Amino acid sequence: MNQNTDLLTLRSVSKSYGTVPVLHDIDLSIRDGEFLTVLGPSGSGKTTVLRLIGGLEPLTSGEIRLDGQDIGHMPINRRPFNTVFQDYALFPHLTVSGNVGYGLSVRHVPRKEIVRRVAEALELVQLGRFADRFPAQLSGGQRQRVALARALICQPRLILLDEPLAALDLELRRQMQEFLKSIQREIKTTFLFVTHDQEEAIGMADRICVMEAGHIRQLGTPHDLYYKPNCEFVARFFGENNLVAGQLGMVQGELRSIETALGRLICSISGQPHLKAAPDGASAYAAFRPEALHLADTQDTDNRFSGTIADLAFAGSSTVATIAAGVDSAAQRLRLRVPSRVDGSALKSGETVSLSFAPHEGHLVLA
Amino acid sequence: MSALPRLSTVLLAAITTLVAVLLYSPLFVPIVSSFFTISHGDVDWSSPTLSTYVALAENHDILAALRTTLIVGVCTVILSVVSGTLLALYYHGRRSGRSVLQFIIFLPFLMPPIISGLALLIFFREIHLERSLLTVIIGHTVFVLAIVYRTVLTRLQSMSRTLVEASYDLGATGWQTFWRIILPNLSSAMVGGAILAFALSFDETMITILVTGTQSTLPVRLWAMMRLGFSPDINALVALILMFTVLLCVLAARFLIPRQVATERT
Repeated sequence: MNQNTDLLTLRSVSKSYGTVPVLHDIDLSIRDGEFLTVLGPSGSGKTTVLRLIGGLEPLTSGEIRLDGQDIGHMPINRRPFNTVFQDYALFPHLTVSGNVGYGLSVRHVPRKEIVRRVAEALELVQLGRFADRFPAQLSGGQRQRVALARALICQPRLILLDEPLAALDLELRRQMQEFLKSIQREIKTTFLFVTHDQEEAIGMADRICVMEAGHIRQLGTPHDLYYKPNCEFVARFFGENNLVAGQLGMVQGELRSIETALGRLICSISGQPHLKAAPDGASAYAAFRPEALHLADTQDTDNRFSGTIADLAFAGSSTVATIAAGVDSAAQRLRLRVPSRVDGSALKSGETVSLSFAPHEGHLVLA
Repeated sequence: MSALPRLSTVLLAAITTLVAVLLYSPLFVPIVSSFFTISHGDVDWSSPTLSTYVALAENHDILAALRTTLIVGVCTVILSVVSGTLLALYYHGRRSGRSVLQFIIFLPFLMPPIISGLALLIFFREIHLERSLLTVIIGHTVFVLAIVYRTVLTRLQSMSRTLVEASYDLGATGWQTFWRIILPNLSSAMVGGAILAFALSFDETMITILVTGTQSTLPVRLWAMMRLGFSPDINALVALILMFTVLLCVLAARFLIPRQVATERT
């Protein structure tokens, strides 16, 4: 397993249902052994990507290459991939071991070997005791693990997971996230995980592919996406963010200024050559995270502006303040996140405060 | 329910009871009277007896009719389950001619039996098929097909599409998916449909009279006996047919409740 070699490559893949296009010219490389999450709002085409790779839908145009060979039109039952479906799709008339062993038994694997491998797979997902139960007798989390065991028993090159955690409650979902991640490390198989939940994506993925309206907007590590979003959509969709519109100004090394309603702000452009190359005066947004914003003290000279606290919301470990900032106070609403304290926050609703963020914690996205 | 005023709840219960009594109470008359002898046009309530049932068991005409009914019923069930399932699978596959097909399947079931019977009769005459048990079986199959078809189709449509996708995804061929996934999930619907089909075939009179040859089924026999007046053995026969049919319907209902629901309750 080498994470640097590509396992599967999509080349200008398009898909239409009748005359309605759902995917436009998608290019995507999936690396061997990685946990790749496809993230997007509903209707972004993320599930279609998964179904095209799995062979559940025919391609409209483009290529899907595995080991350099186009498998775009290979029948579904001959592709070395297995899917964990959103509704699990467990066979109700078969027991847990019948379900898990199905993929082997249709390939006429000897009975003894099926028994052995089913036991191994159930051990891996910690369901050994449930081998003789029927799916209707299992809880949601257990069904989920049966579906996973059923998919990985055939030793596929790639496991496709279609929002498999969507039906679970929050606590169980967190457990399953860790569980999936640990299984993936253990069996060293490539996972392609589709979800609309960005928190889920950040927690599990090696790389995330953000999709919107049938296009891939950005592909990168969770850290990259969080700190270096390449467009407004990713900046807004991926985590909480403050976006302030303005015009690009001077470049100073790894920093660039932007003229906004809050005055001149200075943001980092490190590792983003397209921001360096953008012309002066180009429309852009200054983007900074609620946790990067803080009450200014005397040392903060850059990115300093004042605002009025419009609302305070206690959110457990942190407190989120909504701030009206800018010349015309209603012009800009910002969010400030500070750690909560037992004796209450230093912030008071209605108070006017001076705020700042460090230049290297701000970034720019082109409008 | 609790929002309903008390008076209207009581009223509703009373009306429901009344309707049930009016509809079903006549059925109890032959059942009760089959256990008593009738002398001089009056029921003798003093001595309950099973003598009418014993007489029935010794009546060779009736036993022969029963045998005929069973042969027709079993053949009808086999033919209608096989063809009904195939037609449902075809319909579910979203191929062409679906609505026409459905219309043709339902037509004989929805039309008055005398029309269906006459149509069959004319058809058999035109193709020079002698009236016999075979024509009765064909007639019954055409009649009950809609029930089996509908039962199987309903189950097919309630089956999650991802089950089939999952089967292919795990490497199964079309045949393997059919035998190992689709058919087992349809089986209880097929059994339920089969029982209903058998019950319908068991009771069918009108079409049978029109297309049968020399042999008569139980209901036809019963009908012939009634022309000569109500004898005690008619009561016994009615009671038996009723019991049997109710039993079949209860059985069918059990099979038609999806298995998932049944197991989740336990």
